[in-house]
Parts: sequence; structure tokens; C-alpha cells
Amino acid sequence: MREVSVLGVGVHRFGKTGDDVVGTKSVTELCRHAVQMALKDAGVSWGQIEAVAAASSRFSGGKGWGLNGNDVVEDIGSTGIPVYNLSAGCAAGGNAFNVGYALVAGGVYDIVLVVGGEVMPKGMIQTSGVEEATDPEFLRQRCVGMPGPSFWATLARRRMFDHGTTEEQYARVTVKARKCSVGNPFARFQKEIGINDVLASPYVSNPLRLFEICPVSNGAAAAVICSAAKARQFTGKPITVATSAVATLDFSDALPRGLAGPVPAGPSFHTEAKAAVMRAFEQAGVGPRDISFTELQDNTCYYELAFPEEWGLCEPGEAQTLLESGQTTPVGRMPINPSGGFVSFGEATTAMGVWQIAELTWQLRGQAGARQVPGAKVGLAQTNGLGGNATAAILKR
Amino acid sequence: MAEKRSSGVEGAFVEEGSVAGGSFVPALRVPAVPGLFADEGGAKVFGNKCVSCGTPYFPKAADCHNPHCQASRMEDCAFSGKGVVWSYSVADFPPPPPHKYDKPFKPYVIGVIDMDNGLRMVGQMVDPLERVRIGAPVELVIDTLYHEDDKAYTSWKFKLV
Ligand SMILES: [Zn+2]
Repeated sequence: MREVSVLGVGVHRFGKTGDDVVGTKSVTELCRHAVQMALKDAGVSWGQIEAVAAASSRFSGGKGWGLNGNDVVEDIGSTGIPVYNLSAGCAAGGNAFNVGYALVAGGVYDIVLVVGGEVMPKGMIQTSGVEEATDPEFLRQRCVGMPGPSFWATLARRRMFDHGTTEEQYARVTVKARKCSVGNPFARFQKEIGINDVLASPYVSNPLRLFEICPVSNGAAAAVICSAAKARQFTGKPITVATSAVATLDFSDALPRGLAGPVPAGPSFHTEAKAAVMRAFEQAGVGPRDISFTELQDNTCYYELAFPEEWGLCEPGEAQTLLESGQTTPVGRMPINPSGGFVSFGEATTAMGVWQIAELTWQLRGQAGARQVPGAKVGLAQTNGLGGNATAAILKR
Repeated sequence: MAEKRSSGVEGAFVEEGSVAGGSFVPALRVPAVPGLFADEGGAKVFGNKCVSCGTPYFPKAADCHNPHCQASRMEDCAFSGKGVVWSYSVADFPPPPPHKYDKPFKPYVIGVIDMDNGLRMVGQMVDPLERVRIGAPVELVIDTLYHEDDKAYTSWKFKLV
């Protein structure tokens, strides 16, 4: 395996259809902006891109077939390069990065573009795309009616029982996240919010409230990755991809994913996310305490508390104490989502894994402005997607 | 086996005492998805079980999903009975399609239940939020989910005991 570097990154600021940021822009326009920005940042011309690894969207573009990478190539210039469209629910961006990374690390190509973009429909994500009694997700929604927020809310409720987490502590995660987003030019929300405002927002799924759950957003992100040897032709200070890992759900998983599963022997939560992150630690030869900062998938503030514990970044039940003492802020000892996270960006589902790579790159270059993690050396990124998909990436300088 | 009030449609019943438009109209009770559960002879859901490793499945699995199982041997199984609340939440807003509900929408509690039969199941709770607690004992019931075309569509739910 060859060493792989991130040469350049680009993001179209996240927004909501009809606002001043994304307006009525198509997913192709959002992606074009992100790709041009990444090419410029990398100092690479379109003609030098040898392949594209793209996240497949279920919601926008891709000719309805998830051919989002083909849309990008058609739009920017049909150079005849190979395109890989990767589908993994909300983990698709992380998956595209993983495939792009593997293709460069394996010596198949020298310079690859990774891209993901979304124009999302309004409201809660409709998790089942088919109306068939053989589809467990269809059955779950028709016979029970348990949308994403309710799945997260059952976990948040269980955490309150297991670790004594309070609703105020969940609200404090949002307050901290939104504080991080101030001055982040790519975040959809860039204003602070007070704890009383969070606690006054209505329950979407008790115990989780509107401001504690990420909305859907439109946005796009791109990264130009390259073999380390080749990278030296473009820059003196490339960011190194320490590793990229992908995993799926393990049989032992304890969470209520479908209609029913066997009562588990022990507490095995989010086995796909944990496996991806553990694999990443192992492959990169780093431990959880070596991580300078983490960008994790906070569809809800619950995850800012649960994931760091599940991955050994801190002890079980400790995350809320670290939160309250300011240790999860960019200047704390366990910075979580210094970007502001999904709660500040909204989820442009398949763009997220690529956007995290951009955020890690800026942090490691020291270009993150007000949200900069001082002396950031190693960054961890993680995404989760429907179907039991998860990805993790570790970048370092 | 078949009860008196069975209408001839598989799994269909007349819902007793339902009121539509102010006048008493018994609505035909129909499962929201046929073949998954039944009310006759006590509420039950139809799944199966691998007799090699003991893993229960609902809905039925064609083969055992346990990667450590030596030989998948599936046997049909009707699951019923009692369990305890592992956790719960509330659908405070109407879920998107394909969920269906009677309008105006009424928030409902969703339970994640550890059943004595070995399944961790999800289902709506018939009880209000104020009464639901983690660890509370419940039983499986069949109850109305929504009405459409003068029919009452049912699903499995859980009820505090
Ligand atoms: Zn088995």
C-alpha cells in the first residue's frame, strides 16, 4: 500500500432550498462549486484527475440511478475517466472516500477526485424507498412508524437510564455545537444559541428536541487525493491519510434496527461505527488518546456523548462530564465536532463523509479560524448510514 | 381454531364498538400487512427460529443470520407473551410515508421491548408516555393503527401489564 495525501478540498456552504445560500441551485451546481474549489486548492487541473469516486444520492441528481459521479464528470468535462458511484446511505461520502483512498493506495491511480452533494427534500428523511412487505424498513415504518429521530430518541432515553444523562445535558451539546459554528463560513447555522432556546424548542421525539436534531440541508464537498510521492510535486505540506476504513453491522448489535432482533448478551451499540473506528485505529497504528479532535456523525446531540465513549476516547458515562467542563470544545482535551457538526450544518446526507475530510484537512493545516483546535496533529472522521454502514478516516499532518 | 367473528378474509375481524361519523359502524379489522401477526387465540407475531443456535427472527428469516451458527435450521414460530421495556420514545410528529395514521395525528409512544421469547422488538405502546418506564412489564397486543376505506388496519403493539 502506498501512502496517500489530501491535496485539496472544497465545500459549498450548506443551506436550505430557497435561502440566500443555496437558493434553487441544483446538486450539479453545488458539486461544481465544491470541485472547482478543491481543484484550485490542490493546484490540479481537471485534466489531471484520473478517476472519480462519488457518493450516490437517493434524493438528487444521478439520473435517479445514483450516478452522481457521472453528473459531475459530464458537467465539468467528459474526459472519459472511470467513475465509481458508491451507495451506503448517509455513509456514502465516507464510502466514496474509502474507495478513492484504496484506489490510490493500491497504485491503480495517482490522482483521484472524491465528491458528494445533495439537494434534500423537506422534512424527515423517508427511510424506506420501497413499498414491499419483504423490506424490513418498509415494515418498520408501516407497522410501527419509527422515523430516524425516534430511533435516536430511544437511545437517548436509554442513556438517561444507564448514565443519568439529563435533558439539560443534551441541550448543552447543541449550545456547544452552535458556538463552534460561529465564524465557520461553510456552516448553515452560524449563530450561537442559548440553553433556554434549545429547551424551549418542541420535542421531535421525546426526549429529543428540534434544536438537538440535525435538519436536512443542501450542500456539496470535494477532495482531491493523491499518492504521497506525487503530492510532493504540488505541495510541501500535504495532509496524510493515515487510513480509511469501512465496516458493516455485526450480528451481535443490540440496537433496535428492524422489527426485532435477538435480545443481545451484552451492550453492543453501533457495532458498524465501532468496527470502522477500531479498524482505523489499528490500521493507522494510533490509539483513541492520540486523536487531537474528532468529527463524528451527530444526527442528534446524543451521539456527541455516546460515540466518544463507545470508541474509548473517554470512559463510559464520562462524556457529559467532559462536556460540562468544556473539554469537548476546540480548546478542550477531547474536542468533538469543532466544525459545529451536523447539528450546525444540517445533513446533506451523502456529502457528509467528504465534508468531514475537508474539515479535517483545514484543521490539520491550521486554517480553521475561530474553531481551530490548537496544535491539531491527528483527526478522526466517522459516518454512519442506513443498512448498517459506517466509515472512519484518520488524517494527520 | 377460527373464531365466530372471523369474516372469511384471512386475519380479518369486525372491530367491536367502533364509531364512524357519529353512527355505529363496525369496521372490518384488517392487518396493516397480511401474514405477519394475528389476534385469534391471543396476540402473536409470526416469525421463525433457528433450532441449531436458538436465534429467533421476526419477520421470518430465510436462513439463520448468525455467522457463528454451524447449520441453519429454520422452524416457523409464533411469538407472543410478555416482556419488559428496554427503552422508549415518542413520535411527536407524524412520521413520513410509508407510515399511515388517522388524522388529526396523535403522538404515540414507541417501545423497544425485551420479550421473554428472546426477541428485542419495536412496536407502538397503547399506554400514554406518563405511564411508561424502562423495565416496566408489558404484553403483546393487536390494536388499530389507522382507518382507511371503512376498514380498521391493525398492527402489533405493547401494553403495560
Ligand atoms: Zn442458527
